[in-house]
Amino acid sequence: MSVATAPKRRSARTSAREGGSFLSALPWIGPALLLILAIVVFPAGYMIYNSTRKISQVGTDLEGVGFANFSKVFADPALPRILLNTVVWVVVVVAITVVISLALAQFLNKPFPGRTLVRMAVIVPWAASVVMTTTVFYYAADPNYGIFNKFLTDIGVLDEGYGFTKNAVPAMAVAIVVAIFVSIPFTTYTLLAGLQAIPNETLEAARMDGANRWGTYIFVILPQLRGALAVAVLINIINVFNNLPILKIITGSIPGYSADTLMTYIFKVLQFDRRLDISSALSVVNFAIVLVIVAIYVKTVKPMREV
Amino acid sequence: MKKRTLRGTFIAGAAAAALLLTSCGFGGGTTDGGESGAPGSVTTLDMLVPSYSTGTKALWEGVIKDFEAANSDVKINLEIQSWENLESVLKTKVQGNKAPDIYNGGAFAEFAAEGLLAPATDIASEATVADFQPSFADNEKLEGTQYGLPLIASARALFYNKTLMEEAGISAVPKTWDELHDAAMAVSEKTKADGYGMPLGSEEAQGESMIWFAGNGGNFGDTASIAVDTPANVEATEYMQKMIKDGATQKNPGATQRTPMLNTFVQGKLGFAYGLPQTVGQIEKENPDLEYGIAPVATKSGAPATLGVADRLMSFKNDGSKTAAVKKFMDYFFAADVYTDWVSTEGFLPTTKSGSEKLAGDETLKPFLDMLPNAVFYPTTNPAWNATDGAFKSLMGQIDTGKSAAEVLKEIQAKADAAS
Amino acid sequence: MSILITEDRASRRTVIWRMVVGLLVAVAFLIPYGIMFFGSLKTQAEILAIPPSYMPREGAQWSNYLTMWDTPETPVAFNLISTIVISLSATLLVLLVATPAAYYTARFKFPGKMVFMFLVIVTQMLQPAVLTAGLFKQMLAMNLYDTWLAMILINAAFNLAFAVWIMHSFFASVPKEVDEAAQIDGAGKLRVLFRINLPLVWPGIVTAVIFTFVSCWNEFAASLVILSTAENQPLSVALTRFVGQYSTAWQYVFGVSIVAIIPVIVLFMLIEKRLIGGLAAGAVK
Repeated sequence: MSVATAPKRRSARTSAREGGSFLSALPWIGPALLLILAIVVFPAGYMIYNSTRKISQVGTDLEGVGFANFSKVFADPALPRILLNTVVWVVVVVAITVVISLALAQFLNKPFPGRTLVRMAVIVPWAASVVMTTTVFYYAADPNYGIFNKFLTDIGVLDEGYGFTKNAVPAMAVAIVVAIFVSIPFTTYTLLAGLQAIPNETLEAARMDGANRWGTYIFVILPQLRGALAVAVLINIINVFNNLPILKIITGSIPGYSADTLMTYIFKVLQFDRRLDISSALSVVNFAIVLVIVAIYVKTVKPMREV
Repeated sequence: MKKRTLRGTFIAGAAAAALLLTSCGFGGGTTDGGESGAPGSVTTLDMLVPSYSTGTKALWEGVIKDFEAANSDVKINLEIQSWENLESVLKTKVQGNKAPDIYNGGAFAEFAAEGLLAPATDIASEATVADFQPSFADNEKLEGTQYGLPLIASARALFYNKTLMEEAGISAVPKTWDELHDAAMAVSEKTKADGYGMPLGSEEAQGESMIWFAGNGGNFGDTASIAVDTPANVEATEYMQKMIKDGATQKNPGATQRTPMLNTFVQGKLGFAYGLPQTVGQIEKENPDLEYGIAPVATKSGAPATLGVADRLMSFKNDGSKTAAVKKFMDYFFAADVYTDWVSTEGFLPTTKSGSEKLAGDETLKPFLDMLPNAVFYPTTNPAWNATDGAFKSLMGQIDTGKSAAEVLKEIQAKADAAS
Repeated sequence: MSILITEDRASRRTVIWRMVVGLLVAVAFLIPYGIMFFGSLKTQAEILAIPPSYMPREGAQWSNYLTMWDTPETPVAFNLISTIVISLSATLLVLLVATPAAYYTARFKFPGKMVFMFLVIVTQMLQPAVLTAGLFKQMLAMNLYDTWLAMILINAAFNLAFAVWIMHSFFASVPKEVDEAAQIDGAGKLRVLFRINLPLVWPGIVTAVIFTFVSCWNEFAASLVILSTAENQPLSVALTRFVGQYSTAWQYVFGVSIVAIIPVIVLFMLIEKRLIGGLAAGAVK
């Protein structure tokens, strides 16, 4: 541990000395800033603008209505259930993903013959399109021609195919499994990269101090992983929160809004109710919620290491 | 090693910069063609169509190629979208003031109501407009003016599996709700297959509902108002619920999509289902040994009724400079030879008089053509129809989850009212 | 049995256990793609058969992999090229833009740093699906409608966040003494970044590259409305062309999906070695 803390104090002094103005930072962060300003600002602003307009189903902008769309959104009786679903969805998916990924990253960091092949297999769900992966799960779970159902009946677990994706609760569970499945590769690789960056000396020092395996993991490895882990969790929270395809495919055919998250609800309002204005208002709400969650996260977890 | 890395990074950077400068894509970046009217100039038409089948793209491309060969002053940019994405792409284009000059879709009234569409007489010659069958042409009118050019029609009919009926001991093809109920019950109880296929998922809930409503003399309303929660419709919905509750249907009809449901029929695992002309082709292709028959829709009293569907071609006015070119295309396309070839390849029913005459002898289409006179159509002329359609898709399946029929229809009605 | 001797000198038993677990892990992650692959070898009728078959019953239809490149529905070969061009260019752009930003923010304090980092992460929070209306308008105005460049810029802008943040975290973990030593030798900041820091943070860069590339590779919502010419569209959009109103060409959907995975795996194979580079390999002593 002393290895890590000693230089920190000194570097703080260094950076104070070198700490430039915003202008001297501009050549370094300027390109990124330019890209964001040029591409992201307009559509985001347009979304916010749309949320205060009344827009016909066709897409014609009729008039400004102030915050009327927002009052409609908040008065929506379906909203509480949707928010609850969203919370369950994000918390469960991210938590399980992180636990499995920590274990998997640790395992894939151990040398064994064929490790590269296993690493490649783990990357496949990441490489494949989420839509297609989800589609395969959806069809495999079909009660009639689903292979998964056939397998379960063949080995005698089920008497006949079960409609896993036909009711809100089991369908949500299937969606969660798929979401975890496709989130693991990214998370595992980020953590694996983090593990690679831990100096061997640190591990050997711990070993020489006589720490046992769990001790080493919790007191030496995890703190070193903090940076990678914090970023991985952050990106996971955002992506799972904003995920549309998985739920759209798996719970999309379920009537009503009992299996919807905010994102799929926005999609339904846009696709079936054809209300760009209301869906924009919902998107702004969605964005605000993510913003608050991320702000709290950044504040408490501090994924940015201070220099 | 490190040096190479550094150089590699710079090379990659230079390559990226070069790519960024040159990457327009294949034939992309084409903006609108020249002004029409100027001699020798070429008018470019943007055409947005959905894909009906795997052959749709090739079919349109063939039509366009022949048309362009005959009309060197018009060029057509074809864009195909799946039905699922068609409307969101269209809406984005309308919002961005880049609406397609030719559009093939289901709903038109809301566009016409906002004055975005060119009237039919502007985009087709008198002869072409007069050739449409009056019943179809009437469905294209808003406040007396026709906007859409009916492209295809289709009707639903009852498909029944002869083998399963025999196995269940049923000899007569059901004509009424009660007969359908009993026959479906017999199939579910005495065979390994399901009785009746009821697709109330988001793909086709509106179609299935309309078939049952029509069987009780109901509909979705008319040009002036959407009326979903009428007594006739509630009664029909309650009967649908009875079918579900008694176990006459497949499991979870509320979350069942039409395409996979019809596939179970094609595979011989379903007694009865409402299908379309395309279903016949599908059976031929995927399970030609299936012993099946086609009969009129079962209704409450046995009186004939079915759901008729029509899709249309329409033209967004934009700045109005391209109507002459659109007219050339429409007149070319709706000529009997070109049109009947298109319609029969896609397996739909024709909407023109000349086309119907040419296809009158078609064996596959006959049972469906016979049903057309008693077909009830969606109220496509009502600007709130699109929202009603959406409400059915997302809410109708709830009759399978314990909500009462009246309650569900009221919810749908509320969505429709909010849109009109 | 020398194959069972590993660098951490684990016992033979342990190594065999690791291999068994590794095999199970690999199988678990490959099952859906196995279903996909066997599906791509079936005829359209067999894919929808009830009950389903595990393996193609009527013999593997390898011809699906030949016919899929030019189907009546979409020009798959062009779609593949478009996807590659867009994804590679966008990934390179992200690297070019994110690396200096991540390095500088990790090394130096300056006013507005927090604001900048937060602005970057905000781009990740916006869902492209609800931004398409604005993106469409914007690209029309910039005269980039239906061009690759439009999608390169959009993909790069919306995938910047992860690259900046993860590289930031990796740069921050490089001890500052490394920089200081180099600076004493008279190296400029840019030189310090490229010569000294980059080789140390390879794992972070690799992760960023894969993340960005994969996101661009599978991007759908914006491409759907911005690229209208069939040849320009990426595979993600092209796949929807196989979905007709009444039937879907599943054998092609599956086949194209399998082919679409390969370039990502190739990219991974090319840069995987770098994952083992960096600090762990003892570059810093």
